Amino acid sequence: MSARRLQSGGLIDRTQTLRFKWDGRDMTGFAGDTLASALLASNERVLARSFKYHRPRGIMSAGVEESGALVTVGTGDRRDPNVRATTQELYGGLVANGQNAWPSVRHDVSAVNGLFGRFFAAGFYYKTFMGIPPFEWGSGTGMWMQYEKIIRRAAGMGEASRAPDPDRYEHGHTHCDVLVVGSGPAGLAAAHTAAEAGLEVLLVEQDCELGGAYLSEPGAVEERQNAIKALNDAGVRIMTRTTAFGLYDYSVAGLLERVTDHLSAPSEHLPRQRFWTVRARYTVVASGALERSIAFGDNDRPGVMTAAAGRTYLNRYGILPGSKVIVATTNDSAYTGAAELCRAGAAVTVLDARRSVDNSVLDLARNAGTGLRLGAAPLRAIGGKGVYSLDLAASDGDGWRADGSENCDLVLVSGGWSPVVNLSSHRGAKPVWDAENACFMPAASDEPLTMAGSAAGIWNTKGCIASGQVAGAHAAKALGKSAPAASAPSAGGWASPIRPVYEVTVPRKKLKSFVDPQHDVTTSDVRLAHREGYVSVEHLKRYTTLGMATDQGKMGNIIGLALMADALGKDIPEVGTTTFRPPYTPISIGALSGSSVGAHFRPLRRTPMHDWNLEQNGTMTEAGLWQRPWYFARAGETITEAYIRETDTVRKTVGLCDVTSLGKIAVQGPDATELLNRVYTNPFAKLAIGKARYGIMLRDDGMVMDDGTTWRLSDTDYFMTTTTAHAAKVMVWLEELLQTRWTDLKVHVTTVSEQWAGCAVAGPKCREVLEACVADKTVMSSEAFPFMGVIETTLKGGMPCRIARISFSGEMAYEAYVPSDYAMPLMEMLWKAAEARDGCLYGTEALGALRIEKGHVTGAELDGRVTIDDAGLGKMASPKKSFIGSAMRSRGDMGREDRPRLVGIFPKNRTQSFNAGSILCAEGKVEGLGEGWITAVTHSPELGHWIGLGFISSGYEPWAGKTVIAADPVRKGNIEVEIVSPHMVDPSGERMHG
Amino acid sequence: MVDRVSALDGHYKKGRFGEAGEAGLMLQEIRDLTLHQVAAWPETLTSTGNKAARVVGKQSAPGPCAAAVGKKGALLRIEPLKWWVFGVEAPKLKPADGTALDISHSRTHLRVSGARASEFLNRNLPLDLRDEAFPVGSVASSSMHHVGVTLWRSDHGYELFMPRGFALSLWEVMFETAQQFGVDIL
Repeated sequence: MSARRLQSGGLIDRTQTLRFKWDGRDMTGFAGDTLASALLASNERVLARSFKYHRPRGIMSAGVEESGALVTVGTGDRRDPNVRATTQELYGGLVANGQNAWPSVRHDVSAVNGLFGRFFAAGFYYKTFMGIPPFEWGSGTGMWMQYEKIIRRAAGMGEASRAPDPDRYEHGHTHCDVLVVGSGPAGLAAAHTAAEAGLEVLLVEQDCELGGAYLSEPGAVEERQNAIKALNDAGVRIMTRTTAFGLYDYSVAGLLERVTDHLSAPSEHLPRQRFWTVRARYTVVASGALERSIAFGDNDRPGVMTAAAGRTYLNRYGILPGSKVIVATTNDSAYTGAAELCRAGAAVTVLDARRSVDNSVLDLARNAGTGLRLGAAPLRAIGGKGVYSLDLAASDGDGWRADGSENCDLVLVSGGWSPVVNLSSHRGAKPVWDAENACFMPAASDEPLTMAGSAAGIWNTKGCIASGQVAGAHAAKALGKSAPAASAPSAGGWASPIRPVYEVTVPRKKLKSFVDPQHDVTTSDVRLAHREGYVSVEHLKRYTTLGMATDQGKMGNIIGLALMADALGKDIPEVGTTTFRPPYTPISIGALSGSSVGAHFRPLRRTPMHDWNLEQNGTMTEAGLWQRPWYFARAGETITEAYIRETDTVRKTVGLCDVTSLGKIAVQGPDATELLNRVYTNPFAKLAIGKARYGIMLRDDGMVMDDGTTWRLSDTDYFMTTTTAHAAKVMVWLEELLQTRWTDLKVHVTTVSEQWAGCAVAGPKCREVLEACVADKTVMSSEAFPFMGVIETTLKGGMPCRIARISFSGEMAYEAYVPSDYAMPLMEMLWKAAEARDGCLYGTEALGALRIEKGHVTGAELDGRVTIDDAGLGKMASPKKSFIGSAMRSRGDMGREDRPRLVGIFPKNRTQSFNAGSILCAEGKVEGLGEGWITAVTHSPELGHWIGLGFISSGYEPWAGKTVIAADPVRKGNIEVEIVSPHMVDPSGERMHG
Repeated sequence: MVDRVSALDGHYKKGRFGEAGEAGLMLQEIRDLTLHQVAAWPETLTSTGNKAARVVGKQSAPGPCAAAVGKKGALLRIEPLKWWVFGVEAPKLKPADGTALDISHSRTHLRVSGARASEFLNRNLPLDLRDEAFPVGSVASSSMHHVGVTLWRSDHGYELFMPRGFALSLWEVMFETAQQFGVDIL
């Protein structure tokens, strides 16, 4: 191949030279080039090495279907493998490298694989390494497990950077009346017609330029410009460098916009790519058609490409891709390009597989002066790193015979055209085989979706324009607008029919003919699959990996299907077609995740005290999306030292803890009391105003759902608190009950979790602390504010506040809530008073220690498998009323005596510790599921040793005095423990009453 | 009375950020939000709605997905039986009429305006914000970056109400997105 840039012509800007690096060498191209066209213009032949055989590969196409020129673009943390050089726009400073080769794609030592090609056929690894006698017989997989590791290392194409992606990605949403995919003659016409009808149109084009096939038509420059101007005048929204990669339910389309991939120095404010969700009312798909190759010997050699690609490189990029060109075709479409190449200075011979062709077509060749052979086809390309000759075949009956050879440096092939039916296939419309045009046509859709242009199998420009107009009119009509009537052109449009040729082969000649060059799948692999008994195209795909590479069968699927059909003696439609699934072209994972990465992987939920907690040296932990203070270490303290000190301080003086994350729900209305009485297991009908009550909710199935306190503020107004974990679940549950089961209840529930910020003030000195903060300290007296009392009062500074005297720690304690914007001043005031009393701030670790000592349950215990009796709270289930779960909790199994029940756990040797998650087993019987499990563990400053909570069958009484094993086989091993009452500290609860 | 502390305090910096040229976008936190929820019972929908309307200076309440702006404030229909009273206190209601609830501290209020405000919002918000679909006076619940938000299009631009605990996280995401448009933080 000797390609060269022409002095004029094409859509490139020769005044703008771009410098780039290819495999470490300095190269140049022009603005408007792709990486492929720039390399072709520099006569670079070998751009890649193939997947399995490491065969040299060059440019095979000029678009997204590229299967040869897969390269790695970028360096360091911006290294992107498997980029199609044919779609990578050239920019100054671009760095690209060959891949899958060492030391380079031009000289690759692994090319030795090619010599053993016959051993690497489909299924080679499985057959060779599974069940190797005498080690294994038959289908053993033991050896395979070993070999697989080595085989996997050798597999794969290119290598992604292992560094974090430095680029930013974005999601976006947009809406339109009509989405038009593709801006070729059909897409431009459809967009224009719909816009003229008064619809809002969005036109998307994967290329950097609008025009589609116009871009490769030297005579269509003006036509294209006019069409674009008309679109702009009609107010059509246009997105270029944007691929519609998938169509989904309700006219939703997914787009990928490449924002900066073509820029040398993009603005730091722009994302690299945007992932768009488009909600359209109607979709017109004018996604074009892709030219197929033909399977013939060594058809993957650099210098063999599609006929349309040759034309594009000539007309769009101003390159004469070869000086001695053979154009092999089965249809009319290649003749125009052949004539143009001839006029541009190449010696061209056309091989047409057909024995007779319409004169109008032949005249194209004759007038340009190309050579012409009818009934001829390529048999084998000769050359290693570039083709220099082509063995020919002559039509012989239904088959072929060898017929000499001809020198050439470029072979352009047209095996026919495949409409890009991918997007309609995404919608479940199974493509229909059209034998006359030898391609799959899109099926009619019952959705607001129309295919237009060559995507609907229309082969000429005039027909495509008409088809676009009809599609635009369809859209207009569907959306209640009117558009000029247009008559739909029928599919096809060639002067002479295509001769369906998928493979050229002659008897007794061994050829390596590629069907899917990207995965090195050959015609022999397809036949082997048939011989091994595969009959379905889906099996063929999985056995040979045909159509599994990054092009997803754009080039090879039809050939593979045709060969399979031939082997089976069936017609193509009987063998089926593979279903196309999104995405149409590959999408980076970065674009899928958008801005949901790093710190914003999930949104952070901060309490209004968050910054204040940090200022006090708080270390945060995640509780769902919430950020909660974990512990407040003083200088030199470890987490263990910090939480033990905090726990101790709460028991001795006073501690403050941010409890804002608890769920809070306003329950309001005349029937609020009734609702609470139905959802809580314990009676709520007579809760006095100004009082709080601890309550437990069950699920319908009788298992515990959540617990919390509910405060009665007025006759019809309650303030419910839930656990942090179940706040949303409880809120949704209450709404569901009110909206579906108890629609007669006059109750409104509203989440006020964000409205109120809360602080627990716990410890013997808690009242003193609050007395220092309330405007009128008499409200804090034990008479005015008894245990389980609730007050609404004012703090110093005029802050409104609601306080309940409730305890989670087991100490005398309050929970004080202020509207969230007052949280910081609240903490300032409380801390001033607490610090003066040798108090502390405490976090969730100390909170956990305090509650474990008391045997108070949380989400770790209430895991959905626990009944109210299992949790030791059976007394809270009222026998006198019906409540959610009351029926199901009386099922036989729920009352079984030997159910696991909540217990406390001490290490037998008090100096030892044990792990949460350990399995509790009877001594001498460490096996199976054991007798129970450990849910929570802490060091108890009060008791001076480690303690835990957990569940064990029948509860603690039968186990009293016995040794039990806390089995932790993968971490600590077996630890001897004792089972005790879960109420390990202050079991009578005197302290919290003050 | 002590001052209210916003969820964005310490993180919100006024000024011109991002792409040079004319700012396509203005973002402004409206502090000291006064917001109350008024909820009716099915049979008191009209009467309670009208009571809520009168406190903002209107005679009748807006229908679904709409807002009514009066001299004293605005009324936003946010659920079939619920409104938000914006800018003034809720009316006094008897339990038989419905319920009122102060939620002034539950949301952070951000005003988004400028020529590219819709485009900016649509980076993270799936609502159709075209003029015909979401004219001035429209109200909708939606989500941004996994968080439920309420959007009202007023005469001043888009009024975005974000749950207070998520406000800073959303602000960080929005601030980053806003750079490409050129943004004035007011």
